[in-house]
Amino acid sequence: MAEAKAVYKKKKKFSLFAVINYAVFILIGMIILLPIWKVVVDSFSAVGVYQFKLLPTQFTVDGYKTILQTGALYRPFINSVITTLVGAVLGLVLSTLGGYVMIQFEMPGRGFLAFLLLFTMIFSGGMIPEYLVFDQIGLKDSMWVIVVKHGINVYNLVLMRNFFEGIPGSLYEAAKIDGCSPMGIFFKIVLPLSKAALASIGLMFAVTVWNDYTTPRIYITSNDQTNFQYKLRTMIMDGDTPTTQYVISTNTLYNAGIVAAILPFMALYPFLQKYFVTGVNIGAVKE
Amino acid sequence: MSKKKITTSTGAVVKQKPLGMRIWNHRGYYIMFLPVLAFLAVVHYWPMLGIRYSFYQYYTVMAPKFVGLQNFRNMFATNQFWIAFGNTLLLSIMKLIITTITSVVVSIFLNEMGNLFAKKSLQTIIYLPHFMSWAVVAGIFTLFLSASNTGVLNGMLHDWGILDPKTSISFLEEPKYWRTIFYIINIWKETGWGTIIFLATLSGINPELYEAADIDGATRMQKIRFVTVPALANTIFTVLILNLAKVMNMFESVFVLYNASVYRVADVISTYIYRQSFGTAVADYGYSTAVGLFKSLVGAALVLICNWASKKGRGRGII
Repeated sequence: MAEAKAVYKKKKKFSLFAVINYAVFILIGMIILLPIWKVVVDSFSAVGVYQFKLLPTQFTVDGYKTILQTGALYRPFINSVITTLVGAVLGLVLSTLGGYVMIQFEMPGRGFLAFLLLFTMIFSGGMIPEYLVFDQIGLKDSMWVIVVKHGINVYNLVLMRNFFEGIPGSLYEAAKIDGCSPMGIFFKIVLPLSKAALASIGLMFAVTVWNDYTTPRIYITSNDQTNFQYKLRTMIMDGDTPTTQYVISTNTLYNAGIVAAILPFMALYPFLQKYFVTGVNIGAVKE
Repeated sequence: MSKKKITTSTGAVVKQKPLGMRIWNHRGYYIMFLPVLAFLAVVHYWPMLGIRYSFYQYYTVMAPKFVGLQNFRNMFATNQFWIAFGNTLLLSIMKLIITTITSVVVSIFLNEMGNLFAKKSLQTIIYLPHFMSWAVVAGIFTLFLSASNTGVLNGMLHDWGILDPKTSISFLEEPKYWRTIFYIINIWKETGWGTIIFLATLSGINPELYEAADIDGATRMQKIRFVTVPALANTIFTVLILNLAKVMNMFESVFVLYNASVYRVADVISTYIYRQSFGTAVADYGYSTAVGLFKSLVGAALVLICNWASKKGRGRGII
């Protein structure tokens, strides 16, 4: 009897805690989602209001039409798409090649090459020397500067290396005995076994390139070379709004721009969440 | 050529082949490393040669002129440089402490959540802002805090009678509000992402510890205090060390949110370098390279100190 009472008491306490816990988390979820929801609603509203509304006021899609039909806006968007795709591929090529070479422990000079990689994590030339070099090799005012700058990422290379190190060594040995070349092993064994890591690190590169604002701000001046993040920031903060055929409030256009800037990854995110997150876990475990 | 005896992975002791032969046998790997080496050279090592300009006067239109340590003397005598240095340390460290606390608290309570579906859904939501760019986040909050008639915060303050409807505050241009806003935006953006590493630790806690605490009649709060929090201590240390090493890197988050009215409270070393180089009519690249060198050296020292502390504290370095 006493025991039953104790269990009852415990259960009641538990549920009170659970209620508070859930309430707090609904609140947290709302704090995260409300600003995003407001942006989405405002992007479809012809009239801007400060209140949070569930649905748009005077529904319109002119904001999105403006982005799709104004060269000053869709050109940077296309540039963002191109640089993101190329940047992710280049980033994957360099980090898989580098990571694969870094697990060849018997290779003479491996330690020196590893030092060359790690030293860049400690020390760098800085913003201006880097600017002068990119200027000299003709990447100033070119969207490829974004790709080149983010293509080599030592942190991601080390993540890749750590992942490759987890592949059983007996597989490499077997392939070597079968007469497979280093390149053959790389393409036939290493890469097919690393699909999850490739997806995860490829996404990390893609997000970095897509989200970059600083690089175009420093290097790119012409509108047909810049990316969408830069265009969005100058539009909202500096009022650099292009002339369009539509009569819309700037508020509608700004919010539509924000939605366009987050749309590609928000659309992929629910399906690829595990790849977005695994990168951190590879890093966290090994770090 | 010395012939060392080495032990292979299978445990057999064999004589190591001569160096020339080992290099020849690995030729495929050297070729594979070449692209990496090329990018490393252009993006990281070539710019390091440019550090010499910190000893030059280098106006963009004129040839560089050697001036010795003059740039560094100017730098240490410049008030705005010290303001930027102080702000870098303050903003980074405060941000680190605040978001670590919020991440720890959220992950502890997330860990207590019984319903797996609810837990997963919430995780999906709170990771979301991490993937938004700083330009987007700045855009969202600039509109949110703007003094125009669509600014949410001004509108709500008017409605609640806290602010006279005839006046509006441009929050991001007010030095007294800027830092608070900066911290809040960082909490909004990074708390969720920060929970990942803590949740991984929490899922590794031995359930027997909780059962033992149950037998001792511990309440839920006591269990959190005496089992959960101590288990997180190591991870918190790791997170703090890893991020302390990056304190000098603070740039884009400030760059997208600051403006001329708040330089005193918001300017950091990198934004200062940017303005000295690209924000003035006659830029002295020598001077901004010198400031950049100072930043790199302090950053390197921090990495090495944190690496040492990490080795002492958890037996493993960070690099």
